[in-house]
Amino acid sequence: MASLKNIKLKILSYKKTGTVTHAMEAVSAVKMRKGQERALSGRAYAAAGLSVLQRLSGTADVARHPLMRDVRPTRSNIKTCIVVVTSDKGLAGSLNSGIIRKVEAEIMRLNLNQDTIVMIAIGRRGGDYFANRGYDVREKHENISDGVSETEMRMVTNKVIAWHTSGEIGACIIIYQNFISTFEQQPTARQIVPITPKVVSEMVAGIRPARGRYAPKPDEITSHQVTAYTIEPDADTVLAFLLPRLLNVAIFHAVLESKASEHSARMVAMKSATDKAKEMSEDLTRTFNKVRQAAITREVSEITSGIESMK
Amino acid sequence: MAEQQTFHLVIASVGETRFDGDVYSATVPGSEGQFTVLAHHEPIVTTLTSGIITVKTKDGEKKFSIDNGVVECSQNRTVVLL
Repeated sequence: MASLKNIKLKILSYKKTGTVTHAMEAVSAVKMRKGQERALSGRAYAAAGLSVLQRLSGTADVARHPLMRDVRPTRSNIKTCIVVVTSDKGLAGSLNSGIIRKVEAEIMRLNLNQDTIVMIAIGRRGGDYFANRGYDVREKHENISDGVSETEMRMVTNKVIAWHTSGEIGACIIIYQNFISTFEQQPTARQIVPITPKVVSEMVAGIRPARGRYAPKPDEITSHQVTAYTIEPDADTVLAFLLPRLLNVAIFHAVLESKASEHSARMVAMKSATDKAKEMSEDLTRTFNKVRQAAITREVSEITSGIESMK
Repeated sequence: MAEQQTFHLVIASVGETRFDGDVYSATVPGSEGQFTVLAHHEPIVTTLTSGIITVKTKDGEKKFSIDNGVVECSQNRTVVLL
């Protein structure tokens, strides 16, 4: 049986691990709340942009804008851009592996291969994984802070638009962890180019969690009726302004969702680690007491038998 | 003078909502020239150029400087996207 000293050391080390994971849990909890609040900040913009787009789509020439046109059926050698949003660090349960599995599933579903994919990685985990497997990871963005601003995402948006304009890519999908609740995140793939009104309405619907404090009020989502608009100077100019911004909102929002998901997943992972550490140290304390009691009993019986023999 | 009518105005950029409330009028720098939106303005969508949005509320006047944007008026609700 292990010596008393060894057991004691082990108990101590479990307790220390528990303290660390408990602290990480608390930090993640705070970050998660902040992340959730931020994830909502883009909503007003997206909802308003959507209503403009919906009403503009009543006019005939709306599909003429390149970002709204689906060119994939007409060209066979066109590539697809995949934006993979993961975290930089691990210790967050199955968060990143979920994303990677989803990406691979999407690649299968869309019938793509390494030659027809360009990737943009936001977050180190996904970037490293796909770069190591020979994918064309064009851009890697790491160390994105929790307080990421929308302007930082413009780099990504501009790249996507540039590739699309040059005709290299025909579509762009973004894959990220959608925040559903503290205990539930869902790897989500969303098409962001070409932008269709359907894409935007999915985006607005998905911008808030379905349940809980931030759930939408029923009357907020329904958009009002299409009325005849005066459009100045013309629809093309308005779309040229609006579409890149909506694209940027989509990417920005995916990053915020991922952040909220990352912190909640980490919080849950750290909570179970803390619980496990506590359980282990309790078990070991019991073993420790048993060993100590056995030693005392042995000593007592040795002493009494010594006394007996001297009589 | 009769009570001046108000309409709902939202000025939002991607990261934050800069104004959200009821106003009497909003003067915006449209790309085709500056114009003022009053309650029940006809439905219009237009782009904005750099300039200053002047908003009149019952608490006084507010100014927001902008670089560009889109304004949308419909059904007594006006949204400015920056």
